[in-house]
Amino acid sequence: MDVTYARDDVVTFTKSIYSLIIFLVLWEAVAQMGLVYYYYLPPLSDVLARFVELTLSGEIPYHSYLTLRRALVGLVIGTVFGILVGILIARNAVAEWFFDPIIKIGYPIPIIALVPVFMLWFGIGDQSKIIMVAIGTFWPIAVNARNSAQRIDKNYIRSARMMGTSDRRLLWRVVFPAASPGIVTGLQIALPLSLIITFVFEMVAGGGGLGALEIEGVRTFDPTQVYATIIAIMLIGIALDRALRLLRNHYLRWV
Amino acid sequence: MSDGDISISNLEKVYDDGAEKTKAIEDLSFDIDSGEFVGVVGPSGCGKSSLLYLIAGFLETTDGTISVDGEPIDGPGTDRGVVFQDYALFPWRTVMENVTYGLEEQGVSKEERRSTAQRYIDMMDLGGFEDRYPKELSGGMKQRVAIARTLAYDPKILLMDEPFGALDQPLRESLQDQLLDIWRDLEKTVVFITHDVEEAVYLSERVMIMTRRPGTKKTVVPFDLDRSLDREEIITSDKFVTTKNSVWKSLREETQPEVQP
Ligand SMILES: Nc1ncnc2c1ncn2[C@@H]1O[C@H](COP(=O)(O)OP(=O)(O)OP(=O)(O)O)[C@@H](O)[C@H]1O
Ligand SMILES: [Mg+2]
Repeated sequence: MDVTYARDDVVTFTKSIYSLIIFLVLWEAVAQMGLVYYYYLPPLSDVLARFVELTLSGEIPYHSYLTLRRALVGLVIGTVFGILVGILIARNAVAEWFFDPIIKIGYPIPIIALVPVFMLWFGIGDQSKIIMVAIGTFWPIAVNARNSAQRIDKNYIRSARMMGTSDRRLLWRVVFPAASPGIVTGLQIALPLSLIITFVFEMVAGGGGLGALEIEGVRTFDPTQVYATIIAIMLIGIALDRALRLLRNHYLRWV
Repeated sequence: MSDGDISISNLEKVYDDGAEKTKAIEDLSFDIDSGEFVGVVGPSGCGKSSLLYLIAGFLETTDGTISVDGEPIDGPGTDRGVVFQDYALFPWRTVMENVTYGLEEQGVSKEERRSTAQRYIDMMDLGGFEDRYPKELSGGMKQRVAIARTLAYDPKILLMDEPFGALDQPLRESLQDQLLDIWRDLEKTVVFITHDVEEAVYLSERVMIMTRRPGTKKTVVPFDLDRSLDREEIITSDKFVTTKNSVWKSLREETQPEVQP
């Protein structure tokens, strides 16, 4: 059973990357034949060579670290507050009255538009970026936590109460676990968002990080650095998404 | 000291969801002795579950009072254990973790929790499924986990809402007899809702028949028998058949459509 399973996996994987391979081959061919300016699109092989070079020189690892740190610290802060506020709205009428309108207004705001405002208020350093990621990721987490906490089966709460769970402990014993699938759904939205916000902020404000590295490629007329940086951020995005899925499959296997 | 008696007087329950008011229970008075086994039957939607939830303290009474051991109830308490019609198991906990929940809340040690829980899991014929999650179980299995979970923390009063509804006949009969053993050995008060008249009469010392909605007590049919007899002898006895028929008759009057004047 395991063997066929693994084979099936390989088959599906190969199938799913057919189109990608065709795309990459086309890229190389088009660029090698000089159909586009080198500055627009250098050949894939040049980009890969530059990617390896920047990785070995330590530049990509260093800037990845800066980007990841900003994104993840901000994400953790946004997640903690998002869970707290989301659950509070669902469980407390006063909190609902106060926070629900804020969430309704805040959620759809394209947070990226506020980068210049953040630069005015908090400067261009790490702090400013982290605060923006925290605020940007707060909304999807809060909305999803609220929705799932509002939908908890009444009889779960009743069961817990009859078995002796106090009102205060109810939050940890029932509300949080029951809402956790919704919270993780929010996290799956918030995670790529945290990378996007960090990346864009770095492009605009500098201070290192992959966004800044990419823009530097433009300023120094080095298109291979631009594309190599894009590869790095893509790999990071895919790896984090995979990691979150693994965690989900493990901790939410009861869903 | 008396413990586990229930006194219901002039109970009324009206659901008000803002747009519409539904009177589920009207002027119901009924006393249940400590250690008694009372069956409740009535037409669907007559307010049986509502009555049980009111006794459990999950719902506020609209009028009237419910007292347990002479004290008006104030919310849910560990003296009363409900077996829910829709099971209400915690989906994030395994079978074992569901059954140990009440004991965890009481601060019972881990080994003791597990051994107590295992006893009820085995009694419900769920051995081997300890580490499964509720989503992996059939309806009948979930129902048995729900029963084990409630028995495990040892409430004085058992409030059971069609607890054997999803089980096949042989299992149902075996669990009925086990419930009778538990009731006798542990001297519990049991309020048992069912739509199966034979089950109600077989298990109960008294069967309360409810009217259609708004539900109230219609009649109470007592059934005292020699519990030393076995199932076969009981269900074939004249007394059992007569009692069953009188409950049937009373219930049928409520389920048949009202004759328009
Ligand atoms: N939360 C609620 N809000 C409004 N009406 C309700 C609510 N719960 C129950 N009712 C209504 O109250 C009446 C009694 O419901 P209840 O669930 O107590 O009946 P029941 O006798 O248990 O029915 P069944 O045999 O089908 O389980 C029904 O008409 C039902 O629609
Ligand atoms: Mg019901």
